[in-house]
Amino acid sequence: MILNRRTLLKTAAVAGAMPALMRTQGAGAAEPFRVGALNPVTGAGSPYGSSMQKAILFAVKEINAAGGAGGQTLEVVAEDDQTSPEPAVLAAKKLVEVNKVRAVLGTWASGVALAVSPIFDAAGIIHTTVAGTSGLAAVNKKGFAFRFAGTSEGIGRSLADGALEEGFKRASIMAFNNASGREMLQGAKSVLQKAGREIVAEVIYEPNQPSYRSEIQAALAKQPEVLIMGSFLPDLTIILREVLQSGADVKFVVPAWAVTPKSIEALGAATDGVLLADYESALGSDAYASFKQRFKTDSGIDISGNHYASCAYDMAMTLALGMEAAGAGADNAAIVKAMHQISGPPGKAVSSFATGKELIKSGQKINYEGASGPLDFDDGGNAKPIYKLMIVKDGKINQHRILKL
Amino acid sequence: MNGSLFYLNLVMNGLVQGLVIGLAALALTLVFAVARFPNAATGDLMTVGAYAGIGVQALNVRSVIVQGAAAILACSVLAIGQYWFVLRYLRGRGLVSLLLASIGLALATRGALSFFVGQDQYLFNTPIMRPYVIAGLRVQVVDLWLAVASLVCVTATFAMLFLTPVGRRMRAIADNAELARASGIRMQRVMIPLWAAVGAICGVAGMILGIKTVVLPEAGWHILLPAFAAMVLGGLGNPIGAVVAGILLGVVQELSTPFVGFTYKIALSFIVLAVILTVRPQGLFGSAEVVR
Amino acid sequence: MLSYLIAILIVTGIYALLTQALNFHYGFMGLINFGHVGFFAIGAYTSALLTLSGHSIALGFVAAIVLAALSACPLGLLALRLREDYLAIVTLGFAEIVRVVIVSEDWLTRGTQGLANVPRPFASLGASGQEIAYLGLVVACNVLAAALIARLAYSPFGRLIEAIRDDETAISTLGKYPAGAKLRVFMVGAGIAGLAGALYAHYITYVVPDQFVPLVTFYVWMAMILGGVGSLPGSFIGAAILVALLEGTRFIRDLLPGVMEIQMASVRIFLIGVGLVLFVLLRPQGVMGLRVRT
Repeated sequence: MILNRRTLLKTAAVAGAMPALMRTQGAGAAEPFRVGALNPVTGAGSPYGSSMQKAILFAVKEINAAGGAGGQTLEVVAEDDQTSPEPAVLAAKKLVEVNKVRAVLGTWASGVALAVSPIFDAAGIIHTTVAGTSGLAAVNKKGFAFRFAGTSEGIGRSLADGALEEGFKRASIMAFNNASGREMLQGAKSVLQKAGREIVAEVIYEPNQPSYRSEIQAALAKQPEVLIMGSFLPDLTIILREVLQSGADVKFVVPAWAVTPKSIEALGAATDGVLLADYESALGSDAYASFKQRFKTDSGIDISGNHYASCAYDMAMTLALGMEAAGAGADNAAIVKAMHQISGPPGKAVSSFATGKELIKSGQKINYEGASGPLDFDDGGNAKPIYKLMIVKDGKINQHRILKL
Repeated sequence: MNGSLFYLNLVMNGLVQGLVIGLAALALTLVFAVARFPNAATGDLMTVGAYAGIGVQALNVRSVIVQGAAAILACSVLAIGQYWFVLRYLRGRGLVSLLLASIGLALATRGALSFFVGQDQYLFNTPIMRPYVIAGLRVQVVDLWLAVASLVCVTATFAMLFLTPVGRRMRAIADNAELARASGIRMQRVMIPLWAAVGAICGVAGMILGIKTVVLPEAGWHILLPAFAAMVLGGLGNPIGAVVAGILLGVVQELSTPFVGFTYKIALSFIVLAVILTVRPQGLFGSAEVVR
Repeated sequence: MLSYLIAILIVTGIYALLTQALNFHYGFMGLINFGHVGFFAIGAYTSALLTLSGHSIALGFVAAIVLAALSACPLGLLALRLREDYLAIVTLGFAEIVRVVIVSEDWLTRGTQGLANVPRPFASLGASGQEIAYLGLVVACNVLAAALIARLAYSPFGRLIEAIRDDETAISTLGKYPAGAKLRVFMVGAGIAGLAGALYAHYITYVVPDQFVPLVTFYVWMAMILGGVGSLPGSFIGAAILVALLEGTRFIRDLLPGVMEIQMASVRIFLIGVGLVLFVLLRPQGVMGLRVRT
């Protein structure tokens, strides 16, 4: 293939004509409600991103199978934010300007959420995220943003709370060096300090290393009883293995998203007793079990260990129920208001779109209980933080106790 | 843990890190010696090796040896393919062309791989074994195997370079490509075994990395930068230098952690590199002649 | 639609500026710089930090240029002693050191948390006016950089540079001082990359170390190779093709039913890799290339 100026010009012309082509396509059919799925398919969020995106697509399939929401079917435009602000900003602009989406679901990294939020806020677009950064409130001026996961700080506090409830006296904290990891560390630290417990070491580690032994050595040097981990899946898997191999006598409290049944299986019996902090209703609730099973059947994906996939599913569900409750032709402000109403009390608890839609049609109030948790958003759009502790026993993840924060 | 033991364990950690980096550097430096460019596709070649091992494991073959053999085979085939279809045509085009082409090969390899395997992490189901504790020093069983594998790789590389006719030709090309060609050495006959060897080392390195960590599409890419540093520090094109430099950088890096923390240590190899190159522009083990 | 196009053009402009700078280093002087993203990062953080602490954006831009240029000085001095094969790795390492310093020194840079709410200029012009004005600024910076490079290239200094590139020993025997000239070229290019960093920070309004990875350097190299080594218009064309490749895949996906973004992300990386290989193989002089130097 020889590229010359002429062929390049041709290519450029075709590329230029593409958006126009797309618009004519879109105008033909009955106007669907367009939704962007902006997820970290590649980059640091990649262990979670593709399942998030598939969960959104799956949710929309269910919603459309039930006849759509608010008289419209939903159409998803999926994008990869590459877990990086610049591609995310360009994708966000494309979603807003070219695809004319009304809502964008599923940003994950704090940096991405902070970079794209002003764009969505200015355009009056509903934005749902799982990013844990506390900085999100400042860019949520219209109140059209929702956070479907706990703040990283909140998760950190729940980890420390779990350690306290189990009666551990001396703790070390290890955290992944990113915004989320650091906030988890701060959260855990504040709880431990308030309770007057001793923090024997704080270690912030860099990702993507062939080994974390020196970091572990520093964390274990003063013999803590428990390691509180502000971690993600790949790094925690490596650290767990290295600690277990070293034969050190220490317990773990970790976020549930950092462990999967596969990683427990691979690491074997030594993982017994690892404590996982998670949302109250996440694992073990009917909504979760049902979604997990349906999603597995439909897309072949096991969401164990990917809390964010449940969050992504709930995002689409909440949006659609909000559209249904706000009625046909509602604007985004009305949909946002309805999303708050249908996701919290008072109302009849529902976990599926079809049931919720029927109840709304019959004039009843509903309270959507999601696969990721009870949601119950506060005024700032943050899901209600109720956490629980689970424990690994005989290679299985079991309920342990509810955490009071 | 008392003071000296603490540092001794850090040295141990550094040795282990350094062996992994050293193996990647060995693959890099072998290419550099003969083909004269830093091969950025090395990391992703390792990734492919790890996935080949995982693929064999998925067939319920538990033997690490068989998994490793698959990794070596897959990497060698891919490495020869990269040479045959791309790099072969760039001979004599200079370092930048070859480096850019290898970056392109790295991205293409990763893209193709992740298209098929997805972005989820895979794990080798190696049983967790308790370490030998020798006078307070913890020695992991898996690290002993790592050391053995590295030793075998280095020995085999040396045996190939110094005991076989093809190795002699490789060294001739490394010394002076023009002269070697003029004296009747056929490029292809040397390059195919070379890339096969590079693939084999990458296969072993990828398996080790996979067993020690987790298998992800970007796993090998992250090893590339420290391996580059080890290659340069070892004196470009010097196999033993690359492995020794890798170990040295690993040890310095881990020993530094009580003083500089866990973030700066990842840049430390480059800082050490800059300092040493200021004093010795030809690298630690490079003679002026090898560098040219 | 318009706002998206403007966004694309702004990002293209920023890449074009980076490509011009790299072209100045490599196409013009033959300096192998694989640490371009380091200068870009220094520029972005300098301007972001200054403006966030209340200084004017203009000062931020100037400081970004100056600091990035100065940071090239020690690196340049080291680089001058080394052969090209070492230089590639050393510059790669330089960019990594810059990134790690930004991650570590969180008292200054907020580390991995990143700097949010970097101010945008032209806020008084309204949402779309602001975008257009920003595009104007990016274009103006590109024109200025191009003028500077062209001026340097056709000055006596430029002829000295070309002579050094072609035969360094001969020039030294003529009593010229090649090292000083090389260092100046290195610093000027770094300053332009720093300016690109400042433009980037104030456009994206959020900077975080994750943005400044070696991949960005490789993208810029790719743009330079695509456009043509040593060609000034090539810098713009190369950057345009690069962004078209990065962004265009989104539209191709929209047109292909059944292809998911999850697969497209892999396809995108694959296409970029294959594109790079093909260009190096088949058209090393780029679209606008004047001479084969790769």
